[in-house]
Amino acid sequence: MPTIIALDASLSMLRPVPGRNDHTYQSLALKGIQHLLDNLTVAGKLEHLALVTYSTVCELKVDFTRDYDQIRQAIKKVEPLDKACLITMLKTCVSLMASWGTQNVLQLVVFTDCGPGFGSTSISGFLESFIGKEAEPEYVWLKTMSPYHLNFICLGVHSDLYFTRGLTLLQQLLDATALKGLLYMIKPIKNMEASEGTSSSSHKNEQGFGRTAVFELVERMCESNYKSTEVTLKCGHYARLESQVLIWPPPLPYEQPAPFSGDSTIRHIDQRIDVCGFLSLSDIGSPATVSRHWVLAKVEREKPTRRSGSLTPTSKPSKLTLDSSSPHYELDKLEQDIREFYMKDSKDTEESGDDADPGVALKHSSGQQSEQQKDTLCMLLHGALKLENMAALVTLGEKWYGFIYAYTDVKKKSNLMLHILPPGVNVVPWLGDLDMLGFPEDLAPGETSSFPVRSERRSYSQSSVVWIRKASLQSDVQKVLRHAKKMPDKTQHFYKELNRIRRAALALGFVELLEALAMLLEKECAQMSMNGLNNECTIQLQHAATELRKTSNRDIKSTIVPLQKPGHPDAVPSSAYIY
Amino acid sequence: MFELNQKTLFVLDHTRYFSISSEQYISMDYLKGKPVMEVQACSGVSVGGTQLSKSLWTSAVESSIEYCRIVWDLFPGKKHVRFIVSDTAAHIVNTWSSSTQNMSHVLNAMMMVSVPTRSIPQSSDYSVIHGLRAAIEALAEPTDDQLQAAKLGCQKIPNEGRVICITSARDNTSMKSLEDIFNTVLLQQNALSAAPSNKGLIIDHCHLVILNIVPLGVESLVSNRTLIGVSPLLDVEIHTVSAPDIPDKLLHLIMGHYDLASTTVTNIPMKEEQNANSSANYDVEILHERCAHTMVCGPDFTLPTSIKPGTAYETVTLKWCTPRGCSSADLQPCIGQYNVTPVDVTSRPSSCLINFLLNGRSVLLEVPRKAGVRTTSHMLSARGGEIFVHSLCIARSAVDEAPAISDGPGGRISDYRIPEMAQLLKISRMVPQKVKPKGRTSSGEHLWRRLPRYFPRTSNVTVLFNLQRQLSWLPHFLHLLVKEDMDKQDEVRCQQQIHELYKSASRGDMLLFGNTSSNRSKAGKSKEQYRLFYRELEQLMLLNAHTQHHKNLLESLLSLRSAYGDAGSKIETGAVNMRSFAESPLSPERLEPSSSSSLLRGSKRRMSTSGQRSLLEIVSSADRQSCKRLEFSGRLCTPLAQTAQLYSDIGNREKESSSSCMSTTILKEESIRS
Repeated sequence: MPTIIALDASLSMLRPVPGRNDHTYQSLALKGIQHLLDNLTVAGKLEHLALVTYSTVCELKVDFTRDYDQIRQAIKKVEPLDKACLITMLKTCVSLMASWGTQNVLQLVVFTDCGPGFGSTSISGFLESFIGKEAEPEYVWLKTMSPYHLNFICLGVHSDLYFTRGLTLLQQLLDATALKGLLYMIKPIKNMEASEGTSSSSHKNEQGFGRTAVFELVERMCESNYKSTEVTLKCGHYARLESQVLIWPPPLPYEQPAPFSGDSTIRHIDQRIDVCGFLSLSDIGSPATVSRHWVLAKVEREKPTRRSGSLTPTSKPSKLTLDSSSPHYELDKLEQDIREFYMKDSKDTEESGDDADPGVALKHSSGQQSEQQKDTLCMLLHGALKLENMAALVTLGEKWYGFIYAYTDVKKKSNLMLHILPPGVNVVPWLGDLDMLGFPEDLAPGETSSFPVRSERRSYSQSSVVWIRKASLQSDVQKVLRHAKKMPDKTQHFYKELNRIRRAALALGFVELLEALAMLLEKECAQMSMNGLNNECTIQLQHAATELRKTSNRDIKSTIVPLQKPGHPDAVPSSAYIY
Repeated sequence: MFELNQKTLFVLDHTRYFSISSEQYISMDYLKGKPVMEVQACSGVSVGGTQLSKSLWTSAVESSIEYCRIVWDLFPGKKHVRFIVSDTAAHIVNTWSSSTQNMSHVLNAMMMVSVPTRSIPQSSDYSVIHGLRAAIEALAEPTDDQLQAAKLGCQKIPNEGRVICITSARDNTSMKSLEDIFNTVLLQQNALSAAPSNKGLIIDHCHLVILNIVPLGVESLVSNRTLIGVSPLLDVEIHTVSAPDIPDKLLHLIMGHYDLASTTVTNIPMKEEQNANSSANYDVEILHERCAHTMVCGPDFTLPTSIKPGTAYETVTLKWCTPRGCSSADLQPCIGQYNVTPVDVTSRPSSCLINFLLNGRSVLLEVPRKAGVRTTSHMLSARGGEIFVHSLCIARSAVDEAPAISDGPGGRISDYRIPEMAQLLKISRMVPQKVKPKGRTSSGEHLWRRLPRYFPRTSNVTVLFNLQRQLSWLPHFLHLLVKEDMDKQDEVRCQQQIHELYKSASRGDMLLFGNTSSNRSKAGKSKEQYRLFYRELEQLMLLNAHTQHHKNLLESLLSLRSAYGDAGSKIETGAVNMRSFAESPLSPERLEPSSSSSLLRGSKRRMSTSGQRSLLEIVSSADRQSCKRLEFSGRLCTPLAQTAQLYSDIGNREKESSSSCMSTTILKEESIRS
């Protein structure tokens, strides 16, 4: 989900936070951004992030990147300047987001003290000119923005009138423009007396607005926007052929229209993705997909600490301790013993007799490495799919399928990719009903079956006759005459073409053509006999012309056949009937 | 699903007027190099040269058939077109049934209709009204899809349709009366359909398009009229067209009726027959759903459009990219696929492009972008005899620039059993079936039953599979073990193999290492390897225990393991414990392990095939095998002459790890397995 982090860089951000002399709003905002980066780092550094700062002007500080350090560096250099102008920032974001098209979920995270701005560029100024002129072309950008997820991390306390007034205006703006926006703020203290001695969160609020509160807001925002989709990928009954995986970016709910009439239903992919078979990529082709996702092995990572502000490398070595309560304890134990057995073996060859603890080698590795050294189903499946150029057909829900395959990008980097097909079993015509796919053993004896599933013939794959343009009629007639000149070699072709034209002419009620064709053939015949050419040819042409004129031949079943005995034309029935 | 365009009816006027010429003459003389002698002029052919003209009837038929050609090519099985021919009565050409919704049926039927005869007297019996009446009745008939919906319990089935009437009216007044009659009949039909006994559907809405046809150069008194709502049920539009222009008119109309768009593929290199060395570039125009264009367009991206001379609709021009390889066409990021059909199906460039695609090659289509950078926005490909245009995703995507999977979890491991996994993939390649495979519950389950129940992911966690190459008997043995329908014979063979294994272990034969070249292993190592071998075998058997035979084998193996001083992995607390076993002065020759209890010995004796069994034991075990009902598991795993202990693990949980309760844990383990 491409995300723009927008930082308010107006002068009001330099105000100290009430009751907290060590913090300004800006320093809190920076802490918040860092915490957001930490959270996204833990989630795998997958999101593309960009940083803009805004005051009267909106500046792009860091363009979309997965290198979060660039943003960490850039926010240190932000210097507040004059007044906040939210609308300018929103407009800039629309143009920045343009390259992402409409297939991605676009996120905007704004860190602001909710300053409403001043004058015509303020929120209230915008609302005044906007209301009643919603359809004007200058507000088209709002329509582009409507699918974006806007998140405002609102820095301030409710006892501050400046803040609450800003909040109200912000909400008015979202309501008036129908943008999908959410304001994250600390809960207002409704009743001072009631809050006394109740929940701990209200206690915090009383103390004022600090770092912890900002972290909470960021975490709430991450929880609702950046939650990863975790599913079980099941590829067989064996425990090791089943694994927890992350689907990234999270698949969006699919709005499936009702089959005939009525309300549409919202569908989510199942918690378990079942592999049901394999197909070669060349059979699949490029069917239309709802969305594309990476399939990543799930790893346990530690949550970022709120203290440090940045990630500290975990000091504790991750241990390969086995959980005896796990259902696969027996198997885990066996695998570990075999692994140790081999490791000891290789060690023996290096330094014989050394009876060192086989766990030692693993204990020294850092978290990152040990994570890379745990075998995963994704890697195994990826390797095999890539080797065979195949894809796995997976079920994502009731009558809903997808493909998992090894995708290699232009930089030769390879990944396990999931293509989600639209729900339904007949979504890929050339694969047929996806519910009906099986294995060769399922076929009846002697039956063969292969892809693609063939459709009925379309107009372009049969020799259609369309005479709407003069030229196509002329070229069809020309073709007959060309064959006519090459008789007797082309006698069969001549009659085939002749019958094709005749049938088409009859279907269209184009009897004029039959007469015209007969005349043309006679002309041709006359010319040939004049030049004293080809006896066989003239006889056939004369025969064909006669047959074309016969009204008895204007029947669906009749076919003109070549004259069999040129010498005795009367001896042979000139037209045959196919029953 | 049931939109206005799902049902279209052509009502063709088959009255005498339609036999007259359209007055557009097609010359056939150009075919001749030399002037020819005069041929007597015949009826329907103009005097002099070979010239001919289509009748109004032919013009109407050919253009309406072209309309349905496009519809059926683009929406196979989804959109329906029917024809009704009207003279003294209505003649139904085809029905809503899919067997009659195709070109060859319609063409064959039209052959029997033929051009109206000129000799028939003008009479009021001949009218297009019959056809319009029949059209309204046909609209009330349900299509297969609507019947399906009704069967599935859909209460209110939407039913709309379009009637395209090709006729000729004298003036606006007669047109008006036509309209009024249509409206009245529509209301009557709905009243009929409302009756509970009637099977017809209520018509929710109807769109009537009247094409008033005149020969070329004839003025009509009927004025054109754009779409107006005559009643809440009925919209009518009227077009007066000269006969040669009907195809163009209908092509324009069809674009709106089905929301189609046109793409002109430009710069297609084609070799000329005359000079095969050089190639000229051609353009081919194709039609498809408009979505194919709108899908790829975004806020900052639009496709370049132009208007072809002689038409009034826009076409998007995309440039042909000569394909390099075939493989690049698979699993492109495609966001929509749509059927296509060429506008001019018989032209040479069209058929050239079609054949290229039908032969299995795909073509990417480029669009010039603002900054001069070219983007491939579409792809043409044929699958199963159908040509599709694929709209490709051209915007930046979140899944672009992926870090490689080898940098992720598990990426540093090099000994995945990929070739073995690839074998599994190959044997589980799917094929289309005519009937749902028998006994299939879910598609996932159907596959999983074929896949092994024990399949280590990497080669450094398996002893068994690494030894497959060294021990020639092993692959067959493993094959027998996993057989779902193992019979007595298979079991005996496996028992023998297990016994052999036991003997070679007793002799201290070395097992070769699968993945290392080292043969310098010590005796202790070899023993450990056997032990792991047994444990893995046990794991495999456990997961494959389908029949009693499998269970018998498992029991043999367990007794073998205990004989080898490795009495079930549950009692081990870890590597330390294992090492202590390995270091104990236990020689393979000594069959009775010192650590095993009397109970264990009993069980071993009962189950092992090594022949030390009393007659009673043999008889009773034979009894047990012949018993059809499965024996109570507690009794099965308790040695003879002892009482089966129920809930043996109660109170023992804490002590589980200590070796003192070895016997009970074994009992528990076995009761789980059997």
